[in-house]
Amino acid sequence: MQHLLARTALTAVTMMAVTSFAHADFWSDAAKPYAGVTIRGVSESTPPSNYVKDVLAPAFTEATGIKVEFEATSWDQMYDKAIKDMEANTGIYDFVYIEQDIIYSYLARDFLVDITKALADDPSLKAPNFDIANFTSFIDYFKDPTKSNDLFGVPMEAFIKVYLYRKDLFEDPEIKAAFKEKTGHDLAPATTHEEYSEIAEFFTQWGKDKGIELWGTTVQAHSGHPSSWYEYVESVAPTFGVYNWGINADDNYGASVANGGEMNGPEALAALEWYLGNLAIAPPESTQSTWDEVAATFAAGRAAQGLVYGENSAWIATDPAKSNVVGKVGVALPPLSEGVLAEVEGGTGYIGYYDGGAFGIPHSSKNKEAALLFLEYIGQPEVQADWAVAGARITHTATYDDPKVKEQDAKVDGYYTLMREKGPLFAGAPAYPFHAQVREAAAPYFYEAIVGQISAQEALDKMAEATEAELTKLGYRK
Amino acid sequence: MRSQRTAWLLLAPTLLILFVFGVVPFIYVLVTSFLHWNAFAADPTPRFAGVDNYRQLVFDDQFLYAVWITLRFAFFAVVSEIVLGYLLARLMMRDFPFKGFFRTIHALPLMVAPIAVGATWRLLTVPGLGPLPYLLEHFFGIDYRIGSYPTQAFVTTVIMDIWHWTPLVTLTLLAALSSLPREPFEQAQIDGASPFQIFWHITLPYLRPAILATVFIRMMDALRTVDEIWMLTGGGPAAATRYIGLYIWRVVFPKTDYGYGAAISLITLYLTIVLCWLLYVSLVARKQKKGSF
Repeated sequence: MQHLLARTALTAVTMMAVTSFAHADFWSDAAKPYAGVTIRGVSESTPPSNYVKDVLAPAFTEATGIKVEFEATSWDQMYDKAIKDMEANTGIYDFVYIEQDIIYSYLARDFLVDITKALADDPSLKAPNFDIANFTSFIDYFKDPTKSNDLFGVPMEAFIKVYLYRKDLFEDPEIKAAFKEKTGHDLAPATTHEEYSEIAEFFTQWGKDKGIELWGTTVQAHSGHPSSWYEYVESVAPTFGVYNWGINADDNYGASVANGGEMNGPEALAALEWYLGNLAIAPPESTQSTWDEVAATFAAGRAAQGLVYGENSAWIATDPAKSNVVGKVGVALPPLSEGVLAEVEGGTGYIGYYDGGAFGIPHSSKNKEAALLFLEYIGQPEVQADWAVAGARITHTATYDDPKVKEQDAKVDGYYTLMREKGPLFAGAPAYPFHAQVREAAAPYFYEAIVGQISAQEALDKMAEATEAELTKLGYRK
Repeated sequence: MRSQRTAWLLLAPTLLILFVFGVVPFIYVLVTSFLHWNAFAADPTPRFAGVDNYRQLVFDDQFLYAVWITLRFAFFAVVSEIVLGYLLARLMMRDFPFKGFFRTIHALPLMVAPIAVGATWRLLTVPGLGPLPYLLEHFFGIDYRIGSYPTQAFVTTVIMDIWHWTPLVTLTLLAALSSLPREPFEQAQIDGASPFQIFWHITLPYLRPAILATVFIRMMDALRTVDEIWMLTGGGPAAATRYIGLYIWRVVFPKTDYGYGAAISLITLYLTIVLCWLLYVSLVARKQKKGSF
């Protein structure tokens, strides 16, 4: 594996060098006025971000002479630091990570530099191989329709949250026979929530009977961390047909059924009860698991199936230094309620978030031009394939067809193909500028339901009430 | 006259620093507490709110619960630290093998940053990875999951605080014990006083200033604890460890409700001052009135 990593890194660096050479004139010429400048960025510590930190940033420095200080930190800290910096206009960061759901807040506050305009104003900064047309439609989330669809962020990661299952267990003859004997039908990846629960219960019992540390499902259920809230609104509720958090933006931002929303409706109740029901058949660490720990639990081989962020799929399926389930990972779409797929294919709703983020330049940056060059550098076609292999993220359409990505695709049971073919079933977060505010108002009741202090219906009613109160206070709901 | 001017001149830098870093932020927070100000509201410009923010917190169940559990946390943590700290200080007054080594090891938690303490305890307590759940299950049959059981989470945060800060109390009381005069103790022994009588009538009164100072410091720290708890539980499960500092952080940063957050901060400051005053009155002023220590 170390050889493989070394080879990948070498290939990546060689690629960078070739890229740098091919466009040597542009990068060195354009960066000449900024040579020796240090740009600082902050991002969430994820596989794609770590690739930027370890590979792309040093390569950019070599090509341009512009130094990059890249801070990859926790999700909470990343937001904390970026927002404080932009709010106070201190100019500590020259580029910040913009998660897809926060872009609406940043645009509403006019925190970000208009990249389209910046490139048009100074054509000498426009890299010949940076072209918005190369990107997948994910880039559209970072355009502002109120400003002629100008671009405010260069996508650096895009992925879907998929259903991972243990192929080795699902194909084990002994397990298959036991499952058939118990349920009367064949063991196969779940397509409905009922099937999912049945499989999860079976594997939890199987683990108990065999005295092994194996449970039926992962659950991202840390009730002191927003990740549990996001698992519910991003990955569970939509599969039951509850979209946009159950808030009806077209009807005065109603959240309760009484006011035109769906947050406490019957579909939401089914979704929350299913989510809470999974806790009993999940590993004991689930109530302390955020997004990272869920991936770690699956990689440790402690769960037979789970909903896991796609950006983790590559290392889970291929890196034996971190994962116990290399070569044993199956990938599929999340289980869905009846009628949801048809509804989504008909143009209403989505089955999960098409998640990811971009790098943008704050107005407060003191090195906008140098940061702009960096954003173009990471947006070149030449750097995309190795980045996709390392971080299971794809932002350029052509990356799917790269031989390296195809090779990796086979190792992760067709994750990239699934993202390409089924990506349109997923969608970005709703275009609300108040995600964190509503989350902080409603999530405490969701957390109480996780702990069992209140029932699912009571939690949903309180969540809807708190959401409407917060939106009224914020001035969105009249 | 001239010496007075010189004194003011010498004091000026300190006063200036105090004014810039103490008074100005306080006034800023005070003003903010009377504003409706959320960076992500439909209208993000600050608007005068009168006493709305203060009125809101009286009816805010989450705030009131945070105050209640913070007081409980501070009480259990500080009382335990004082008792344990005193016992350890007494122990260290005696000679025993490897005393110097023990004293060094014992003081190590003080040198660890709170965020690192929280991270360490998090690793200790995660089921499937940390040793604590395994050992408690293996030896006592306890299903230890601080992500699922609120009482376990609360007790764990108290124990973590005790582990982190008891050495401070020990060292303070050790210094105080070392400086006690020998005569009153010798006199009491000659007079036939029992160990408890000596402790109650001589040791404790002599130690009272040191104990009080330590209690004040620890109580103020416990009332505003954030980092360790944020790292260990994030305030969960549900609101079980969402202490007041963490609640303020959530209101001000993720929720960006600056006006309301400022109001809670000021009320928390007020509560801390009142608590310290009550403690002072009950333990010092009353004794002074009686003419004792």
